[in-house]
Amino acid sequence: MTDPNIATAVVIERLKYCYPGGRRQPPRMALDGLDLSIPRGAFFVLTGPNGSGKSTLFKILCGLALPSSGTISIHGCDLIASPVDGRRDMGVVFQRPALDKHLTVLENFRIHARLYDLSESLFQMRLKGALPWSDLEGRLHDRVMTLSGGLARQAELVKVLLHEPTLLLLDEPTAGLDPGGRLAFMSTLLRLQKRRGVTILMTSHIFAEAERADLVGILRHGKLLALDSPGNLSQRLGEEILVINCDQPELLAQALSNPSGLRIQIQDHELRVQGEGLLLLMENLLKEHRQKIHTLSIKQPALEDLYIHLTGRDLARDEEEESR
Amino acid sequence: MIRPTLALSRRELVRFFRQPERVIGSLAQPLLIWAFLGAGFTPSFRAPGMEQLSYAEYFYPGVLLMLMLFSGIFSTITLIEDRAQGLMQGVLASPAPRMAIVFGKVLGGIAIAMLQAAPLLIAIPFIGLSVSLGSLFWMLFGALVACLGFTAVGFLIAWNMESTSGFHAIMSIFLMPMWMLSGALFPIEHAPGWLWALMIVNPVTHALTLIRTPLYHAPGQFLADPNYWMAIMIAILWALGCLMLALWRVNRVERGAFISA
Repeated sequence: MTDPNIATAVVIERLKYCYPGGRRQPPRMALDGLDLSIPRGAFFVLTGPNGSGKSTLFKILCGLALPSSGTISIHGCDLIASPVDGRRDMGVVFQRPALDKHLTVLENFRIHARLYDLSESLFQMRLKGALPWSDLEGRLHDRVMTLSGGLARQAELVKVLLHEPTLLLLDEPTAGLDPGGRLAFMSTLLRLQKRRGVTILMTSHIFAEAERADLVGILRHGKLLALDSPGNLSQRLGEEILVINCDQPELLAQALSNPSGLRIQIQDHELRVQGEGLLLLMENLLKEHRQKIHTLSIKQPALEDLYIHLTGRDLARDEEEESR
Repeated sequence: MIRPTLALSRRELVRFFRQPERVIGSLAQPLLIWAFLGAGFTPSFRAPGMEQLSYAEYFYPGVLLMLMLFSGIFSTITLIEDRAQGLMQGVLASPAPRMAIVFGKVLGGIAIAMLQAAPLLIAIPFIGLSVSLGSLFWMLFGALVACLGFTAVGFLIAWNMESTSGFHAIMSIFLMPMWMLSGALFPIEHAPGWLWALMIVNPVTHALTLIRTPLYHAPGQFLADPNYWMAIMIAILWALGCLMLALWRVNRVERGAFISA
């Protein structure tokens, strides 16, 4: 059984997942000894570039795959040895819709309740409790295919609330929603966290969403690059960034790398420079390289910048690797 | 186990009735095939030893079997899309036993197939046959075993299949021939040797025997025949064997490759 008083909701230790590969493909390590623990009641956002292992982790957490090695415990209960106990506490919202669009909203909800072994009377009671979290009242007898994208997402959320999970897993739940719908969905999640004390684990590429979380994890190559509150993470970059938009960032970077002490990164047509004396640098740049530069700006570091900083192409290291 | 299974099989029924074209199609298709092939082949059908038999009558149990085949295909083909994006994701993440997915499909499939069989059963007197209630029971029993077998085979194929077009390919080279070589279209007795061998090892042939025999004999007669019991054994072994395989398959969760050191 799971422990309702435990302080950490999810503990992941040395988790590895390796895709076997085929004749032409070498095996690929999607998760490479991942360690992660999420306190109870926290709003955790997991982000990372495509192919970083987010989806694999999600698949393992919701029971669609078993890891190569490592352990996961949900509320103190080993998810791999006894998956049923852990799953009772979990509500999973998938990236792709998990409702039968030929059935009505109510019919979908009822199937979900039966899967969690709820009786009809308990289902009706839970439905009364879960519906106010959405704008679905009055649409219960409509088929799911007639709902708008935003309402369909709400239906997914109400559905998983029916069995009163204490841990919500969401895989890019706001993908495909318009900004209004996204904002509303996020607010609902935050309210759920505050009022019901639900632990939330969500994957997302949208940094506006990550800024509102308690804890942000950045995943790359199956390992955690960073795990901290959004505030602390932004501060980690510390100083301002000079962002130069130009045609040939590589050339400009070479010109800049002569006076040392500057950290330089290239991201598409952008050159990002950090270090002392940015103002002076700007002056020089405009004097000598005005023709190559489209725009110049100095910005305060945000979470997105840290993400790019941590996962993006690092010029210094690339050069180091090339010279070897 | 029971609640999830019933909920999932109920879903199959609701989905069936909510698509009127599917209801009409699944009812009309066997009737049309029966009527057209029956009328077309009857003048030239002279199987030695069954001269007094019209083709429409000969083909009748085969059409019933075809209905079971299509029911199995239709109820399992939805799995393919359902797993990647659809209700099945939620089922897999729930504490409900995965076996409920198989049982839900099988129960729902059987219920739909039996509903579809009703118009065909009503047609029995029109081909000049009279069937006792006891015989009708054994005929339905044969149909049920066939339906169970086809649904389980369909499940095995559809589970882990990436696209519905792949399913169609397997269906036309594997499932349809199982039906064609069951004695549904032509009698096994006069088939060339190699075909006869294929037909005799085809478990569906024996399921068809279960449907055909009660049309002409009283239960007291055929239940005393060891050949009939042999057919029961083979058909049930096939259906239950495939069901076991499907249950085993659905319980297997994809696992990461083993890493040394």
